[in-house]
Amino acid sequence: MIFFILLLQAVCILLAAPAVVGLVRQGKARFQNRRGASVFLPYWQLLSLCRKEMTITRHSSWVFRIVPYVVLGSAVVLALVVPTLAYGVVPASISNIFFVAAVAAVGTVFLVFGGMDTASTFGNMGSGREMTLSALIEPALFLTFVSLAIGAHHFSLDGIALWMALTPWYVGAPFVLVSVAALVLVSLAENARYPVDNPATHLELTMVHEAMLLEYSGPYLAMLEYAAAIKLSVFLGLIATVLVPIGMVHAPFTLLNILTGVALVALKLAIGALVIATIESLIVKMRFYRMQEYMAAAFMVAFIACIVAIVSVNNIL
Amino acid sequence: MLFAISFVVPLVGALVALMLPSDARGNAVFQCLMIAGSLSGIFAVGLWCVASLSGVPVQLFIASSLFGETFQVGFLSTFFLGIIYVGALLASVYAIPYLAHYERLYTIRWLNVASALFIFGMQATVVSATLFVFLLFWEVMSIAAYFLVIADRKSESLSAGFLYFVMTHIGILCIGTGFFILSGGDPLASFSVVATRALALDPLAAGIAFVLILVGFGSKAGLVPLHQWLPYAHPQAPSHSSALLSGVMLKVALFGFLQALFLFPYIPLWAAVLVVVVGLLSAVFGVVHAAVESDIKRLLAWSSIENMGLIFSAIGAISALQHFNLFDATPALVGLVVFVVLHTLNHFIFKTGLFLSAGAIQFGAHTRDLDYLGGLAQKWPTFSVFALALIFAASALPPLGTFFAEWSFLQSLALLVAAAPPVVALSALIVLSVVALVAGLAVFTFVKVFAVAFLGRARTKETEDAQPLPRLLVLPIGVCAALSVLMAFVAAPLASLIANTETRGLFSSLNVLPDASLNATSMWFVIVCVACIVLFLRSIGTDTRPARITDTWDCGQPLTPRMQYTATGFAAPIRFFFRALVMAEKNMIRVPVVESNSWITKNTLTWGTASLWEVWAYQPLGRGVLVASRMIARVERWSIHFYILCVFIALIVGILIAL
Repeated sequence: MIFFILLLQAVCILLAAPAVVGLVRQGKARFQNRRGASVFLPYWQLLSLCRKEMTITRHSSWVFRIVPYVVLGSAVVLALVVPTLAYGVVPASISNIFFVAAVAAVGTVFLVFGGMDTASTFGNMGSGREMTLSALIEPALFLTFVSLAIGAHHFSLDGIALWMALTPWYVGAPFVLVSVAALVLVSLAENARYPVDNPATHLELTMVHEAMLLEYSGPYLAMLEYAAAIKLSVFLGLIATVLVPIGMVHAPFTLLNILTGVALVALKLAIGALVIATIESLIVKMRFYRMQEYMAAAFMVAFIACIVAIVSVNNIL
Repeated sequence: MLFAISFVVPLVGALVALMLPSDARGNAVFQCLMIAGSLSGIFAVGLWCVASLSGVPVQLFIASSLFGETFQVGFLSTFFLGIIYVGALLASVYAIPYLAHYERLYTIRWLNVASALFIFGMQATVVSATLFVFLLFWEVMSIAAYFLVIADRKSESLSAGFLYFVMTHIGILCIGTGFFILSGGDPLASFSVVATRALALDPLAAGIAFVLILVGFGSKAGLVPLHQWLPYAHPQAPSHSSALLSGVMLKVALFGFLQALFLFPYIPLWAAVLVVVVGLLSAVFGVVHAAVESDIKRLLAWSSIENMGLIFSAIGAISALQHFNLFDATPALVGLVVFVVLHTLNHFIFKTGLFLSAGAIQFGAHTRDLDYLGGLAQKWPTFSVFALALIFAASALPPLGTFFAEWSFLQSLALLVAAAPPVVALSALIVLSVVALVAGLAVFTFVKVFAVAFLGRARTKETEDAQPLPRLLVLPIGVCAALSVLMAFVAAPLASLIANTETRGLFSSLNVLPDASLNATSMWFVIVCVACIVLFLRSIGTDTRPARITDTWDCGQPLTPRMQYTATGFAAPIRFFFRALVMAEKNMIRVPVVESNSWITKNTLTWGTASLWEVWAYQPLGRGVLVASRMIARVERWSIHFYILCVFIALIVGILIAL
């Protein structure tokens, strides 16, 4: 049963991911007074990409060909182990906070390899920038997770979700709010959203993530686009879990419980997508060479979250 | 007995190497001898482990009539002996094809004599039982290493060697003085005697001794501020020797420091914090410089500084924690010990492998500058797989062994933040943030190495024409890669072995604190499951025609290899963000071609990085010494009467002090 729930959690994210991307685009379009494409367009995009013939540059090696598998694999692991639908189902050892961070890093590293294995300046530029961002966001990511872990007395995301769900909201509120602020900053950077990267452009010198995908085509491109969508959904789901751990599936599993859980996940992801759209419509992209300020700010917020968590755990005040 | 054989082999090897012809064949014979010696050594270490695991306390002493007990083999020394023998084995296998290729560059006979003495010095250091023997063989090791550094007799090697020579002697001076303070001035005292004598030492003297010993071993291990020789000296040695220098000799320095720590009755808190701070500073400086460096071997040397810094900071943290009664945080303590042990092993494995790889790249592509490499994964697919494994190990990413060590470190720090009193928690939090930054930049560094050297297109003709590598050259690298994968599985049992005494380990599935566990088997299980899911997703309904091979998209203008990002370009953001730390400077000098027209200019771009320590500490110190000596030189030219006056004053002062 636990395996079933675990699988259901992954399937939920995997199915919802393209719609989340579609919803963000739709929301942004509405902010710009456009009608925007259908929310379900990304599904068709992925499917049509899957049926297209692939072209691969002659300057690439075997690494280029395994990149989509590893990146998608890393995203699927995240979808499996990050508690978005249920808690108390993932073994503590594989939803450990540092492990989750490392799995995300593996995906990033291979994406960077993909961009470097093209012999094109575009891909190389994207890779160099992505690696810089991911290296600098690491301290903030770790500290954000640690702040949650301290406050929740658990070192696995699953345990954190469990604690969040079982504890009255006012107990954790002080550190949860700061942690979530840090988590939002980290998520924007990890998922190549504003103000770190512009996911909508394809021909801007500002782009990071899209530049690395430039040489991919057909099914491989679909896999990479899909992986990015999954990662975004996972982070949104995680934020929702920490912020509003309502209606999550847990033992004993009943049909009603599972059904409401799934419906609530869909709702949370939809709201999350609209929030992202709002954020992206309100702020502008930062210059890349000012990124250290953003990273430092994210780190400081995470550090403060840790301190608040220490204070609230130790009852110093 | 086996220990004795493997012990003597390098000495015999040195003699044999003297007699052998200085060519490829002589080299092969010598390396085979060294391989046999290392194998017997590994076998001996294995036997020792089996014996001690089965409960037989093994303690070997070799006594000589002259010095009393001379050598001893304990648990700590066996561990490091194992590292030395495996390292020597790999380096010797590698050296057979490698040195045959560079027959003209190196004088093989003397190089082999030096490396035999180097290996001998290292193992003798590790097993020595008295201060005198320890210092003697430490010096043998250091001087042999000097000859390895200057082996190619180029001017930059000579200056790097000189820097190393000075540093290592500052080091041994500090170590010797520190030891003699502890032993009360008796050079022949054995370590156990020193430990008992140190009990009676007053805190001030013990503190001075501690700082001296930290500086001494730190200078060898590449800790700031005496780290500057390492990125110059390590890359200059032939690659198999660089592997030994960086992979093994630094571990001997670590061994020396650990052994010295056991001599102290207790480590004062300030001293432990000092170790943590020095370790973290080294880690940060090492990794930032590694991130912006383009010379592979120098980059690896900087990364060694980083890794040794991390290990030392963990040791410092362990000593600091002894001062607090932390019942809740016992698993954290165990986790830190686990990190030290595992990371020592892991760093040895991947750094040896990477230095050997750097040598192989130089062997095939005739350069070790990342800016001229590229496209090696297409040329050498097998080698690139091994290199990728080693790169992953070096970046501490799952599923390789290093990740478990680093995880153990981070997890222990997080446990401390969670469960320790506020002061400790806050310190642990700061350490955690620094370690996280270092970890992120380490990933950046090694991704850069792999991406620039192995991916894309070759950037120069030499790299384009690279020939296949000899099998024997790739074999040791493959062994290192396999070992670093294997370490993931060894991590959990080894950790529980360390932890099984009183506390249950972090790694076992039952743990003291909820959720703090991890093991390789479950991780590989997840990987296999997810691989199945991904392959399933890929196979349904997608286009499975073979891909069309095309050119890279080029905007209608042919791409040249020069258009690719170089390592320098790849690291440009890091160089910019950390410009204060690496002292990055970029100057565009515009000279107008015609005086009257300021728009048409001839532009020259100069840029570079420098070491903060070199500019702010070494050079002022050097200038200070020069100024002082010039002032003293002025005194030299005075009349004889002044000298007599000086002698007289000295005499009076001497008598006053004596009274």
